[in-house]
Amino acid sequence: MTPLERRCRWLLRAYPAWYRRDRAGEMLGTLLEASGPGQSWPSLRDARALVTGGLRVRGWTWSLSMLWVVAGIVGTGYDFYITTKPFTWADVSLGIEGWSADPVAVQIAVVLATVGSLTLPIPLLIAGFVRFRGWRPRNLLRIAAWAGAWIAGFALVYQAEVWGDYPAKCPAIGGPENCPAIGSPAVVSWGELGICAAWLVLGAVMTWILAGPAHRSDVPDTSSRLPSAKGSRLPPGTDDVQA
Amino acid sequence: MREPTYFVLASLLDGPLHGYAIIQRTGELSGGRVRLATGTLYTALDRLTAEGHVELVREEIVNGRVRRSYGLTPPGAGALRAEAARMAEAARLVTDRGRALQVGGGARKASPA
Repeated sequence: MTPLERRCRWLLRAYPAWYRRDRAGEMLGTLLEASGPGQSWPSLRDARALVTGGLRVRGWTWSLSMLWVVAGIVGTGYDFYITTKPFTWADVSLGIEGWSADPVAVQIAVVLATVGSLTLPIPLLIAGFVRFRGWRPRNLLRIAAWAGAWIAGFALVYQAEVWGDYPAKCPAIGGPENCPAIGSPAVVSWGELGICAAWLVLGAVMTWILAGPAHRSDVPDTSSRLPSAKGSRLPPGTDDVQA
Repeated sequence: MREPTYFVLASLLDGPLHGYAIIQRTGELSGGRVRLATGTLYTALDRLTAEGHVELVREEIVNGRVRRSYGLTPPGAGALRAEAARMAEAARLVTDRGRALQVGGGARKASPA
């Protein structure tokens, strides 16, 4: 396998697995034919078109979900980051841990992640059910998984409130004298670690649920539409980049 | 109809073509103006197939990979002809008026003399 082919295969992963199963080999052949001799990297134009094409096939609900997952990962990463430094009374008053002493870039990332985490859930919940509309038997499992993922998500938020006691140890009123933890680094508890891991698993499950085609017509099952090819169907996996 | 879609359909007028041949043909037909990226081509082919404008006509294995050829369907040819007529009409609107302006401009120039 040439470096160009390996990189093209990697880029094709922008498309969901069900799409790649049918199309990836054909697209890879076209990409390689369209490349110049000695070329070892796909052109920027091709790379951009593959990524946007993959996102389009996955659908905007999936992109919204990924955005939310990324916001969650940024928030989780920040939770770990703040445990490396002592927090101040200003943090307790603001309710945002470590905020006052953070670099501007970190502050912006935290604000964006917080806004994303708070604004995306409800549109995403509705969008997921809209995506699985039709209530046909083949969608029922995914609808149940989607509802289950959200119930698990709310349970996790509840547990995070219970276990994530930083900086709730200190009352926002009463002054620093009521907050003996000020000046010492916070510690991530085992419960919070479990919650972070569960969030990552939940994000993977949600992405998997949304990765499937919403409708049968979305699947480019081109070979089944070829009238003369019934006797000469390709062997399974001939063109699957996952192989 | 967007320009790349128009040229993809036009490239299939002479017969079925596979992906790379469609990219080449659209480039030739558009005088190099439309340079389709592979991802863009297959997005267009998926949409055109779903709309019934393009159909799969041949499937073969080349270098261990599947190569599919696509052809224009009668509704696709109809849509292409309709788009061509619409563009010709739109072009005529401007070219006729341009000619009239030339004639008018010539008349105005001529009148003071």
